[in-house]
Parts: sequence; C-alpha cells; structure tokens
Amino acid sequence: MNETTEPPAVKLTGLTKSFGANRVVQPLDLEIRQGEFFSILGPSGCGKTTLMRMITGFETPTGGSVELDGKNVDAVSTKSRDLNMLFQSYALFPHLSVYENVAFELRVRRTAKREIDTRVREALELVRLGAFAERKPAELSGGQRQRVALARAVVGRPAVVLLDEPLGALDQKLRKEMQFELKRMQREVGITFIYVTHDQEEALTMSDRIAVMSEGRVLQVASPTEIYDEPASRFVATFIGSCNILDGVVDAEGRGVVVPGVGAVPALVPATAVPGSGVALAIRPERVSMRALGAAAPADGVRATLVERAFLGDEWTFHVRLETGAVMTVSVPSGEIAAELGAIADGADVLLSWSAAAARVLPAEAAVTAASPASATSALKGAAA
Amino acid sequence: MERLNSWIARLVFVFLYLPIAALIVYSFNSSEVSYRFDGFTFRWYAELFRDQMLLESLRTSALVGVIAAVLATVIGFLSAFALVRLRVKGRAFFVGAILIPLIVPEIVLGVSLLTVFSSAGLPTGIVTLVLGHVVITLPLATLVLMGAMSSLDPSLSEAATDLGASPWVTFRRVLFPLLRPSILAAFLLSFTTSFSNIVISTFTAGVGTTTLPLRIYSTLRTGLTPELNALGTLLVVATLGVILLVGVAQMRRILAGPRP
Repeated sequence: MNETTEPPAVKLTGLTKSFGANRVVQPLDLEIRQGEFFSILGPSGCGKTTLMRMITGFETPTGGSVELDGKNVDAVSTKSRDLNMLFQSYALFPHLSVYENVAFELRVRRTAKREIDTRVREALELVRLGAFAERKPAELSGGQRQRVALARAVVGRPAVVLLDEPLGALDQKLRKEMQFELKRMQREVGITFIYVTHDQEEALTMSDRIAVMSEGRVLQVASPTEIYDEPASRFVATFIGSCNILDGVVDAEGRGVVVPGVGAVPALVPATAVPGSGVALAIRPERVSMRALGAAAPADGVRATLVERAFLGDEWTFHVRLETGAVMTVSVPSGEIAAELGAIADGADVLLSWSAAAARVLPAEAAVTAASPASATSALKGAAA
Repeated sequence: MERLNSWIARLVFVFLYLPIAALIVYSFNSSEVSYRFDGFTFRWYAELFRDQMLLESLRTSALVGVIAAVLATVIGFLSAFALVRLRVKGRAFFVGAILIPLIVPEIVLGVSLLTVFSSAGLPTGIVTLVLGHVVITLPLATLVLMGAMSSLDPSLSEAATDLGASPWVTFRRVLFPLLRPSILAAFLLSFTTSFSNIVISTFTAGVGTTTLPLRIYSTLRTGLTPELNALGTLLVVATLGVILLVGVAQMRRILAGPRP
C-alpha cells in the first residue's frame, strides 16, 4: 500500500467526554499511524483512561467521532471493534488455563480448532510462555500474567492494542525489562500499540510518538526526543524529566531574555517573540554548568548559593538558590564530576552558566514572577521526579 | 485458663450436637415413649413410609422449597447484577427495598401476604406458598450474590466483551463459572429457609398443601411420635449428604488447583 494513502490506525475528531457537568476530555483531534507505538502520557486524572475507553467503545463520547483504519466506528460496539485491550489488572480469567485464556477470543469467534491451536501456540511463543500453557493464572508471577494478557490481546491479530498502564503492578527491575520486551513484541507483531501511562520514563523508552495530556487536553504530540528537547509548554517541560523554569521578559531588541532580579541570561529567542512580552525559560538540569565563585568573578554567569546536594548513583543533583530566592536544580553525571565541584561546600556561592541553545523560550502562561514560590516548587518537583 | 477454654468449647459442641444425637438414637427406640430406651427397632421408619399425610407434606415442602429457591436465585442473580454492575439510578433505594423483608417481622409479612392473596382472589396453595417464600428467600439470595459479584474484578467482563463475547457468552463462559459456588450457596440457603419456614406457611398454605413443618407442629397437640424422630434422622442424613457432595466437589477443585 502506498504510504501516503494509508489511513491512520486511529483518528479522533473533536472527541470529548463529560460526566455530568464535569468535562473530563476536552474536544480533541488526534491521529495515530499504522504500526506505531504511541503513548498517551499524563498525570492521573488527566483524562487519558477515559480517552482510551472511548477508543475501545467502553465509554460513549459526549461529542466527536472515532475512526479506525479510515472507517467511522461510532455506531460499532466494543465487541465488534478491531482492537483489543490489555487491562491494568490483566483481567485474566482465573478459572481458565493460560492456553484457554489466550484461546478465548478465537473460540468466541468460532475459529477452526486446528487454527486455534496454531495461533495460540504462536502467541505463547511470542511472549515466551510456551511451557506454561496448562497453568492457571494464579500459578504465575506478575510478569508472566502480564505476558499472558499480552498474548491474549494479540492472538486475534487486531489492528490496534490498547495498553492501560500495564507495568504499574510490577517491581522496578521487571518494569525496565518489560519496557524493552514490549517494544520488541510490538515490532514483531507489527500491531499499532496505544500505551497509556503516567510514567514518563516508560513513554520515553518505548514510544515512537507521545501525546502529553493534562486536564483533558492534548498539549503536545511529538517523538520522545522532541518532547524532551523541545517541549511546547511549561507543563510538558516540567512533566517530562526535570526542568528548571525561570520567568523572564523578552528584551527590547527581541534577542535576549531578562529575568527580573537576575539580569540578562542566555536564551535562544525565536524570531516571533514580541519585545517586552513575558516568557518562561525551560532549562534542563544537566545542561546547566556550575563552578565555584572565585575571588575574581567573571560576569558571564548567574550568581547563586549552593543549598544542598544528593547522590543518585548515576548523577549528582545540586539545589542552588538564585538571588531572587528561586531554586534551580543542576545535575552532573557522577563519573564526570570534577574535584573542584566536589570541593564546593554547601552554602558557598557558585556561578551558573548555560548555552543559549539550552534555554528554551516558552509562553509565559500564568503571569508569575521569577521569585514566586510556584516556580521554585516546580523546579523542586522536577528534580524529585 | 487454656484448660477452661477447651472445656467450654467441648461443652458447646455437646450442647450443639446432643439433640441431633438423641434424635438419631430415639429413632431406633422400640419404646412408644421417649424417656425409656427399650431396644433397637426399624419400626418407626416403616411407619413413616406408611404415613401418607406426612409423606404428602414432605413432598409439598420439597416442591415449594425447590421452586422458591430457583426463583429466588434467578431473581437474586439479576438484581445483584444490576445493583453491583450497572449504574442504576436510585441504587441505594433498591438495595434497601430488597432487603426490607429481612427486618420486617415474618408475622406481619404473613398477614399482609394473606390480605393481598385474598383480595386478588388467589386461592391458597402451592402458588401462594411459593410466592410467600420467595419474599423471604430473595433478600438472602441477593445478599449472597451481591457479595460474590462485587468481589469479582469488573474488568473481567469488559475483557470478555473486548474479546468479542456477547453478554450471554460472557455470562456463560466467564461470570457463571466464577460465580458457581456462590450461586449454589444462594440456592441452598434459599431452599433451607423455605423448607423450615413455619410462620409464612401458616398464612399461605391451603387445604392439601400443608408443609412439613406445619404438619409436625400440628402433631404437637397429640404428642410427638417416634416416627418424627425417624423423619428427622433422614433429613439430617440428607443434609449431610448435600454438604459432603458440595464439600467434596470444592475440595477436589482445591486439590486439583496446582497442576504441573
């Protein structure tokens, strides 16, 4: 099939959902491509689960429409939609063996017996559980149950599989392994995956593209690197990874940014910026460099005081307080930490610097000043995430 | 202290089972009077099976019990499903309405049932007995099934729907197998409640449809006959039989659980 004429796997147009007076999903448009690993990422309560349930048909939208593979499915019930879901609780049938769980859909759809056997065995091989066919779900570990649920979701070869925070119940180590496993399996079966999660690391690791949601709106749809390096809004910048936010004003020439109480700071100002308008600067902690403030202080840097430090294994995190009172986070890979940096005592004055390219200029959104507690807490929150 | 406890426990067991043991022993007593044990006999069992009136009552009770229990279980299942799974408006009201017969004195229910039946021109008989018994067994069946259903993960039926199952297939392949023990429990509880009921039956039984408890109660006037001991013994044996059957099936399932 020609790439350009291929209809999107899922197309949402003006899709919205209200429960009573409470609008959970604001009208939104979204296109998910065939064969894509697409993540919907957002904090709990952002509407991502409701959005997913509208795609499956479990929830009826208040407005808008859902298209699967170019066909409108608004009038099609869940059981006839060509998609399967992997539930957060796995929802394996406890009275059936692993084999029968996986075979369920094929039996319901009256597939020929021989074909059922071949396809169930194939699906179990895909998730590497061939030897466990006769077990009951209760006799499996959490990770194995998850694989059975995945095998059950793909055995009928649906066009789309939706995964609802499937790794939430697993421990940290297993979760990391499963992230790569899921990606591998998705590539093997070539089915479009829609992965719903609140975990930004999962989304970054596995996705081809990510939609970031907040308060019922899709804020940005882009690849993981784009989402991380070029966040479109303050929310995206602080929700994905940790990020320092400084509120400032575009200078009179429209070429730099002035942070009140700090002065001019390096920033890459887009040509469209209006001189004198308020903006938010987003700077990743790993792109800030820090050194001790010597007796002869160079002018090119932002003065701050080192408040505290934490060792996280792979990196050191420093919290520094600007003269305005705002707190910024600086992180340095632990392998590269210079003796000079290690020698700086807590409470000592430091000098921060970053390249213009590292400071992304974002719309100011809510008008807050650099010294406001909001920006300090968001910087701290980002560091904690 | 521990010895005292264990003695109390033993006494409780004696207190619980002494009447049943006495019932069984005296059912084989050849004496006409119950305070003297004269020797072993099967005479009362023979007389029991010749007592057409008593057997007729047993049949009535069994029939009413089975029909009422089936109705209560089916209606109870549907009510429980609606109340637990569907977003029913006025859910709290319906739960209360279904459970109210549990707290209304049976004598009041009996009187009001009789009033309704006579004003509707419905003659007392099997039908009125069944209807009366459904009123008191339905709350029990609903409660048992509501408990079982709310402990079931709601995404199980969603998963079945997602995998292409119609509501009926979802019920047959997923919900029913998982709820089978509770459905059985609801049925048995309803049956025994109906089978042993006296108050409602007093008001709803008609001529020729006297239930077993009513018949036994009426013989009190002429004095209990040893024949009743024989009947009681047979009922105890039947009950134990059901418990064993259900219990063995459960045990087998538990033992068969971890297959290699």
